[in-house]
Amino acid sequence: MIERSPWQLLEFLYLLARMELKARYKGRFLGYLGAVGLIFALAFVFWIAFKVIMGLDLPNYSVYLVAGLFPWAWMSMGVVSASRSFVANAGLIKEMGIAHAILPLSNVVQEMMHFALALPLIVAWVAIPGDYPPTWSWLWQIPLLMALQLVFVYPLALAAALANAYVRDIEYWLGIGFVLLFFATPMVYPVSMVPEGLARYFELNPFHALMECWRTVFIESRFDATHAAYAAAFAAVEGVVVWFLYRRFAPRVGEVV
Amino acid sequence: MTAALECRDLWKSYSSKRVGLKTLLLRPEVARTSRYARRWALQGVSFKVSRGQGFGVLGANGMGKTTLLSVLLGIVQPDRGSVSVQGRVASLLELGAGFHPELSGRDNVFLYGSILGMRLHEVEERYHAIVEFSELGDAVEEPLRTYSNGMVTRLGFSLIAHAPADVFLIDEVLAVGDARFQEKCRRHLQEFRKRNGTLVIVSHDMEALAEVCDEGIRLEMGEVTDAGPIGDVVRRYQRP
Repeated sequence: MIERSPWQLLEFLYLLARMELKARYKGRFLGYLGAVGLIFALAFVFWIAFKVIMGLDLPNYSVYLVAGLFPWAWMSMGVVSASRSFVANAGLIKEMGIAHAILPLSNVVQEMMHFALALPLIVAWVAIPGDYPPTWSWLWQIPLLMALQLVFVYPLALAAALANAYVRDIEYWLGIGFVLLFFATPMVYPVSMVPEGLARYFELNPFHALMECWRTVFIESRFDATHAAYAAAFAAVEGVVVWFLYRRFAPRVGEVV
Repeated sequence: MTAALECRDLWKSYSSKRVGLKTLLLRPEVARTSRYARRWALQGVSFKVSRGQGFGVLGANGMGKTTLLSVLLGIVQPDRGSVSVQGRVASLLELGAGFHPELSGRDNVFLYGSILGMRLHEVEERYHAIVEFSELGDAVEEPLRTYSNGMVTRLGFSLIAHAPADVFLIDEVLAVGDARFQEKCRRHLQEFRKRNGTLVIVSHDMEALAEVCDEGIRLEMGEVTDAGPIGDVVRRYQRP
């Protein structure tokens, strides 16, 4: 096994993520606009459908959508692309013996870089209409939430990559799972609209807690400590469980990819 | 002399089937039994390589050579037995495994260097030497997909050649590139050994093995069927 110091690992992670982005966009600005535009287009479609056609009574609906959709895209695209990371990089794993755990992390970090690049546009989208002026507290709230989301998403991504190495069709099921979760979290309507008996179950969903934090930051400039604590607790449990799974299943990944 | 690399009684088997979600859920007994459908790739392999020595592993395709290197590299866990390696290892199992076709030669040097365990400043220090050895010239700024196979091979080899390593694991790579470049690679490997570096090469190219190794073994169906000075092993292999 190639020995790596923590600094070398960090540099390696940075290079993996940066080079992948570079290869995808080839340094073209249009590529970046395309990735961001897709999410704005999605927000536009939901806005037309729910606000204009169905007459949803939520004053800040366009902000509500954008504040949630970008972190959601980071999470779902990060986990789905990470699920392919062992299989797609079979060469690296088999021939070079690189530490497996870093590959899905690179996918999650790539999507985080996307999110960070889109942040100025999100902030502009939220702030320019004037109802939700930007505040200084975003300077600590947003990075803190990004860190929380990173530790929340990474164990999921690692578990997805492991599962997909052993059982090859997991990546398709993951895509379906995230579509269902998208409507169960909920991303396009507030939980307050859900009938009371059901709403309890929505509140149990850790994904809901995380997304609620994002919306509270952008809409109320407030850090939702309750939901953040719930998401963090979930991330901690996930982390422990996935660590054990990793210890158990990673050594044979080189043989099954 | 101290042993740079030693393996004792290595055993390794593979199961041959791939399991999908459907099999796992509907026919778990198949998923379970296919895990025990054993095909031995290594059967009780033991040898020792001293520091500064060149060690060749001979055998036809499918005899367990690449599995052996993967076990030495620590990518594949043996079922039984142990491996110990002293110092930094660099492997050249498949040239270009870490290359990205859309990136330029320069970006690939940094990415691949990092894959090999180098720090960024280490790659920077060696960058000119790497490009010069590869003889790519200005093409290093072009995306890798525009390269010929020979160019990719040259870049891959020169990166490995400049990686800081005490032990080199090489699989079949001496058979690539044109004759002149092959000669250059061989010279480089000889120099590496003079600096007390250890080489383990797996190949069916007898001449190349005989030139850069001193000792070797022959693998057949995962078993060591011959061992000794490389010249003798090669001779017995060619005229059984």
